[in-house]
Amino acid sequence: MEKTALVEQLKAQIIEALLLEDLTPNDIDPAAPLFVEGLGLDSIDALELILLLEKHYGIRVEDPKERREILQSINTMADYILKHETEV
Amino acid sequence: MMPAYIISTGLISPQRTFENDFSCDADTGGAPILTAVEPDYRGLLHPVQLRRSSRILKLGIGAAQRCIHNAGGRQPDAIIVGTGLACVNDLETFMKSIEESGEQGLSAIPFINSSHNTVAAQVARTLQIQTYNNTHCHRGASFENALLDTLMLLQEEEYKHVLVGGIDEFSMHYYRLLEEKPVAGEGAGFFLLSDTPPGNNSVKISAVKTFYRPPEDFIARFLEEQQLPAHQLDAVVLGINGLPADDAVYRRQIDTFFPPHALLAAYKHLCGEYRTAGAFALALATHALWAGAFPAPSVLRPGASGKLQKVLLYNHYQNCNHSLVVLEGG
Repeated sequence: MEKTALVEQLKAQIIEALLLEDLTPNDIDPAAPLFVEGLGLDSIDALELILLLEKHYGIRVEDPKERREILQSINTMADYILKHETEV
Repeated sequence: MMPAYIISTGLISPQRTFENDFSCDADTGGAPILTAVEPDYRGLLHPVQLRRSSRILKLGIGAAQRCIHNAGGRQPDAIIVGTGLACVNDLETFMKSIEESGEQGLSAIPFINSSHNTVAAQVARTLQIQTYNNTHCHRGASFENALLDTLMLLQEEEYKHVLVGGIDEFSMHYYRLLEEKPVAGEGAGFFLLSDTPPGNNSVKISAVKTFYRPPEDFIARFLEEQQLPAHQLDAVVLGINGLPADDAVYRRQIDTFFPPHALLAAYKHLCGEYRTAGAFALALATHALWAGAFPAPSVLRPGASGKLQKVLLYNHYQNCNHSLVVLEGG
């Protein structure tokens, strides 16, 4: 999958998983931080995002440090998914 | 027991009660299920809380916030909630996801929102009240037991103001399981109670008692215990719900124990049947005492004198859990 398409898919999946009903995919900047700034997510949302990666992309991330790096922004999530697909 | 004075109410129900409109004239159109008229929760809940909270949490926090607002922002010293089925819809979602996913990769939000004490906890979190916090789940007497806890807490004199609520949401799964289906309802009602009267035109709860499958004469015995002769009652508010078997219980009591001059009122055609419908009745009667009259849609039989000072609330749930509450106007 192209990164642009993957980013759009991730936006829709995040809106659904985190109940961000007031947002549309166009409102989300894929380069903006997911936590504190940007979408202003918190630790419970981080759990939901880890589940999202597992459920939709078959990716399990056990290392907390690696999780923090992957979940910086939608772009970093997309990059990790693409890298994971290539490795697989 | 020491009485408790009602400082304010906050009620979200199938009527327009959130705006303190107790005319109870919302057209329910003979619907079999009455759903709550919900306010705009923005401004009542933090944005993160707003998106993550399930419907019952919004109902509960919204009603509690409204109650505090109506009390001029006075903060409670303790929070007590009564609920029959609590966050039942989120519990169903969570249980379903456990089954579907084979207990793997479960979402945290329905789990967090699925326990019985979530409403009381989230109200406490919203109001930043870190003292006594309790949830009573006693089927059809949940709210009345929460009230009883409140009165006992105030009697201990450690707490001066207690926020007490009754809350239940409609569940289609539960409704389908019922053999006899009354008009179903839902609602969230909160009350700020104090050990001292707030001033003129105060309303006090002077007695609360719950019963499980009581004998026929339990109301007479209760009134005797309270040294309240039946002829002193100006109004009796009944939980008539339209089911012949349930309503026959009230009819027997009307014919036997209630004075013929007293006003008779009912409310479940206005809010539906649910396990904490007693909270709707308490709010209805409180506002009636403040206003000096019950709203016309609630009146089954007008009172002979027009006087409104002592009111008895009588509710039962499936003829198992019965409750009596005595209210007195100032």
